[in-house]
Amino acid sequence: MDSKVVLEQLKGMLTVDQINTDQDDLYDAAADRYKKYAKARKVLNVPSPIAIVYPKDTQEVSMLLSYCNEHGINVIPRGGKTATEGGLENWKELTIVIDALHLDSICKIDTYNSQATVQAGVPLQVLEDELRKVGYTTGHSPQSKPVAKYGGLVATRSIGQFSTLYGGIEDMVVGLECVFPDGQISRIKNVSRRAGGPDIRHIAIGNEGALCYITEVTVKIFRYFPENNKFLGYLVKDVETGIKVLREVIVNGFRPSVARTYSPEDAAQHFYHFYENSCVLLFMAEGPKGIVSATVNAIEEAVETYKDGIIKQVDSQLIEDWFNHLNWSQQDIDDEMLGMIDNDSHAGYTTEISADWETIPKIYDAVMERVRNEFERAEDLTMLGGHSSHSYLNGTNMYFVYNYKILCEPEDELIIYHHPIQRIIVEETLKAGGSMCHHHGIGKYRSEWTREEHGSAYYMLEKLKQAFDPNGIMNYGTIFPQEEGMKYIQ
Amino acid sequence: MKIICVVKFVPDVDNFTYDHEKHIIIRENSRMMVNPDDACAIGFALKMKQRSPDTSIEVVTMAPESVLPLVEDILRVGVDTATIISDRLYAGSDTYATSRVLSRYLSGATYDTILTGSHAIDGDTSHVPSQIACLLDLNHMSYISRIDESSFSSSLARFEVESEQAVSSYEIQMPAILGLTRASGYRLPYVRYKNLNMDVSDRVTVIHNDVLCFDESEVGLTGSRTKVVGTHVKTYKNRSHHVVTTDQEGIDTVYRFLKDKQFI
Amino acid sequence: MKRILIYIEQHHEQEGLDLLETARQIYQEEPYETYALVLKSQYDALKGIFDVIVDLSEECLQEYEMRAISEVCYQLHKSYHFDAILFPATSWGRLIAPRVAMMLDTGLVADVTDIAHGEHGLELIRPAYSGRIMASIQITGDGPMMLSVRPGVFSYTQHKKAATQIRIPQDLRYRTGGLKETGRKEKHSEYDIRESDVLISGGGGVERYFHELRPLAELLGGHVSASRAIVDKGVADRNVQVGQSGKTVNPRLYIALGINGALQHIEGLRNVDYIISVNTNKYAPICSLSDIVVEGDAYTFIHRLIDTIHKEKGYEGH
Ligand SMILES: Cc1cc2nc3c(=O)[nH]c(=O)nc-3n(C[C@H](O)[C@H](O)[C@H](O)COP(=O)(O)OP(=O)(O)OC[C@H]3O[C@@H](n4cnc5c(N)ncnc54)[C@H](O)[C@@H]3O)c2cc1C
Ligand SMILES: Cc1cc2nc3c(=O)[nH]c(=O)nc-3n(C[C@H](O)[C@H](O)[C@H](O)COP(=O)(O)OP(=O)(O)OC[C@H]3O[C@@H](n4cnc5c(N)ncnc54)[C@H](O)[C@@H]3O)c2cc1C
Repeated sequence: MDSKVVLEQLKGMLTVDQINTDQDDLYDAAADRYKKYAKARKVLNVPSPIAIVYPKDTQEVSMLLSYCNEHGINVIPRGGKTATEGGLENWKELTIVIDALHLDSICKIDTYNSQATVQAGVPLQVLEDELRKVGYTTGHSPQSKPVAKYGGLVATRSIGQFSTLYGGIEDMVVGLECVFPDGQISRIKNVSRRAGGPDIRHIAIGNEGALCYITEVTVKIFRYFPENNKFLGYLVKDVETGIKVLREVIVNGFRPSVARTYSPEDAAQHFYHFYENSCVLLFMAEGPKGIVSATVNAIEEAVETYKDGIIKQVDSQLIEDWFNHLNWSQQDIDDEMLGMIDNDSHAGYTTEISADWETIPKIYDAVMERVRNEFERAEDLTMLGGHSSHSYLNGTNMYFVYNYKILCEPEDELIIYHHPIQRIIVEETLKAGGSMCHHHGIGKYRSEWTREEHGSAYYMLEKLKQAFDPNGIMNYGTIFPQEEGMKYIQ
Repeated sequence: MKIICVVKFVPDVDNFTYDHEKHIIIRENSRMMVNPDDACAIGFALKMKQRSPDTSIEVVTMAPESVLPLVEDILRVGVDTATIISDRLYAGSDTYATSRVLSRYLSGATYDTILTGSHAIDGDTSHVPSQIACLLDLNHMSYISRIDESSFSSSLARFEVESEQAVSSYEIQMPAILGLTRASGYRLPYVRYKNLNMDVSDRVTVIHNDVLCFDESEVGLTGSRTKVVGTHVKTYKNRSHHVVTTDQEGIDTVYRFLKDKQFI
Repeated sequence: MKRILIYIEQHHEQEGLDLLETARQIYQEEPYETYALVLKSQYDALKGIFDVIVDLSEECLQEYEMRAISEVCYQLHKSYHFDAILFPATSWGRLIAPRVAMMLDTGLVADVTDIAHGEHGLELIRPAYSGRIMASIQITGDGPMMLSVRPGVFSYTQHKKAATQIRIPQDLRYRTGGLKETGRKEKHSEYDIRESDVLISGGGGVERYFHELRPLAELLGGHVSASRAIVDKGVADRNVQVGQSGKTVNPRLYIALGINGALQHIEGLRNVDYIISVNTNKYAPICSLSDIVVEGDAYTFIHRLIDTIHKEKGYEGH
């Protein structure tokens, strides 16, 4: 089908102001932060979508999806545009971006039942601000909080900085509404728990726009006691010691909201004024007074247990200050973009993985070793390190962060720098039995390893795609590997 | 049109290690790169070559032979040929001796114009372009921030020079030596991924003193007119600093200090 | 008696005068005669200070006629046999000096910032590696000794009264042409931070409220300057950047707000009498150079200090 015809027909379904065909906006919609540098330098090698559309309600989403389904038009659902793994990147000539801009109302805040319902286009910060007014919090705080929207947050299985206490988004979503390619609207009701067959919320949560369009979500909300917050920070000898202390606190049953260990290289980026070339271990305890003081005691005990690996305690104020400047605003994102236009540099890349307690330090060491020895441009690295920032009873994550001098043309940056490093991280993680994608989603570039990530369970994932999106119109190339898309990877 | 770009390979001055005991720079682990201003000269030449494909570009450098891989990368982005002037005898040459070596080579070369940078980030002297101009008796201008591409020819060039106070336009008769600055924004492109291993060895010439025939006393340390007798990393006097905070007491301390010293 | 030729760049007479201090440090107690070479006839500031002024105004040479000027220098040297020829390391000075040095077959030391008399005799100190190291250089040839000297580093304060002879050289032979100025657009900035006695300087730490510095600067009779961190961000104008790739300043008072103190920044601080740094991080490198370190938020500092100054003024008024 011809793009002109599609645009004509869209005009029959939507009002003019719901259809955006501005060239700059379309270029912007062609890729996300994965190709940020090439994008800033205007050398993207992927096609632009033909239009960005802004449905006003679930019915319009349903109408748009069934139209695209019928005509084989690729659809990319879009929220706050903070995707980092190519989830918003376009690999098809005929693509429409369905943006949740107008799905922006907070439907209900129900403090008695501790739940709030929002449409997909509500930014997390907006709900958070509303909740704070009534003494509640979403408990969700990814670094992209000021910008990311609920649809995207749910679709990527995002996680926030307080996850150790509040959990990831999957622990917060009570029910939701989503639309499938054939136009079917499904509402999953909001109950406290049920045993009604498999938990179908998880078909929508984390689907990255590759199965359905999420239009509405209901999440848990939590009483907020900011006045009780306590911060603790330590310098520790190595990543492994830091992780041992994290484990000790968690397995003893305590849930600090923040619990992190930074490698010295990563610490240097944040804590150069006190890190003294060592690892940094830090905590935040949150909640009612009694819980906070019990948590602080437990942390101090765990630190005592591993005191041989602890260099010293640092001033809590330093941790609190840092924490207050952690989030990225739209301005920061725009600044990085501007910086990339003027300079041959950006703020770096990250790859986030997870594994059990004993495996994480091994993966970390193996990755460091391989990158330093195998990566051809190792001498251009300006930073290579990581931190563990989300812990669970059985393990934790590792957030690898790296940056480098970009000594190549913007078109070649990913292939020369980011891909080889990412490949090493993914390979080492999968080899050790961990997950290559702790919280950013698979996106497009890690789809190369989706089969390996899931092993024999890939069968289940693939069946979902076949069942819900038989024509393959949902976010082509995302999660599910596509041979044809490889030209944009290699 | 034949353009010669005279370039220098310099260490990355942002990341060098210094031996504080012996007061020397440890060169082994500092990586080399094309001096940034000189890279702009190549960038401009490549731009002219794009405009008129019959342009040919030769890069000339006086350097140890170890710069070969870097020179090859320059050939992989579209420069036609490269000449590395290298001889054990030339090591330690100051700007005076260096200019003489380069000029002897250039006096036997054909060119319509010589492009170079204005300033090298390691030596920081800016002498070489002027001195080559003097020896070859060419017109010369440095600190060029823009060259008018459309009028650039083998007889004339128009360009702008930016200083703190003003932007001046000039016209120069060719052949001439034009020194660019980073403000020009011309970029030496990086080698594209697909060309990283392109074989360019047949386009590099390395010439030694058997071609240029200098007497040992004319070049290197002995032929130089200046000599580095020592280096040190700068130190600044430590002030007996008084630490206060932004509370009223701290502010009052600052206030009294300013008042004592008569700033208020 | 030593003879020293100093090149005076048009509109930069002070830079030329300051080279007398360089000359004094080179020759110390030895007697010497000073010659100023001027292209145009406005040189009142030099009269009574230099022993000789070589006036080229009749030749109508332009500053940019580098070949001609160096040929003139060459000929003057052939008649006067200078022991030293000094240029200010201005753009023109740095272009003309190397030609003269080549014609005279002599060594030239660029951008000298200090003079030392060490165990090997006279050493000329200059920055290298973009200012990251200082190198001591000796001139090894037969001379004359040639230097270009960084402006603003030496300052001539004595006012030796000399009876100045004006000499108008005759029969100069030189070639002009080849290079022609065809236009000039002045850039205008409101003030020149190099002239300021007091600088209130902002860095990365005040990116969001750099404009708040101005009222404090005005209260203290000074101006606002910046580190590169915020110049790069477009918050402050390049004209007010202090440092290696900005300007070298020598105020009596420098207040660094939210500036970390990278070497390249400190490079721009010359002969600053007092430094006060305000930084949330009292371990920031600049703090070690400061007379007073105010540990805290620069924004708070500015407002509290302004309030205090106003309040104190108010009391004095009663
Ligand atoms: C500075 C920065 C910090 C970040 N920090 C974190 C962090 O701490 N934790 C974390 O988990 N992530 C983080 N991320 C990643 C990103 O913010 C999250 O993945 C976020 O959930 C994406 O939300 P969004 O609204 O911006 O979605 P978008 O970027 O618009 O979309 C993301 C993906 O979701 C799909 N999608 C969007 N809306 C819908 C919908 N309504 N229905 C179906 N699919 C949809 C898109 O197709 C795409 O594949 C960070 C990103 C940035 C730039
Ligand atoms: C060749 C070259 C030339 C250069 N030339 C120059 C030059 O001419 N001039 C120059 O300045 N730099 C120059 N630089 C850059 C230099 O290396 C530094 O990057 C730059 O000076 C950093 O500026 P900054 O200290 O203001 O910013 P940052 O490094 O961002 O430091 C910000 C400081 O503010 C403090 N701070 C943060 N918040 C607050 C607050 N609320 N209140 C108070 N304090 C706060 C922080 O603790 C920190 O100390 C050059 C670099 C190179 C390589």
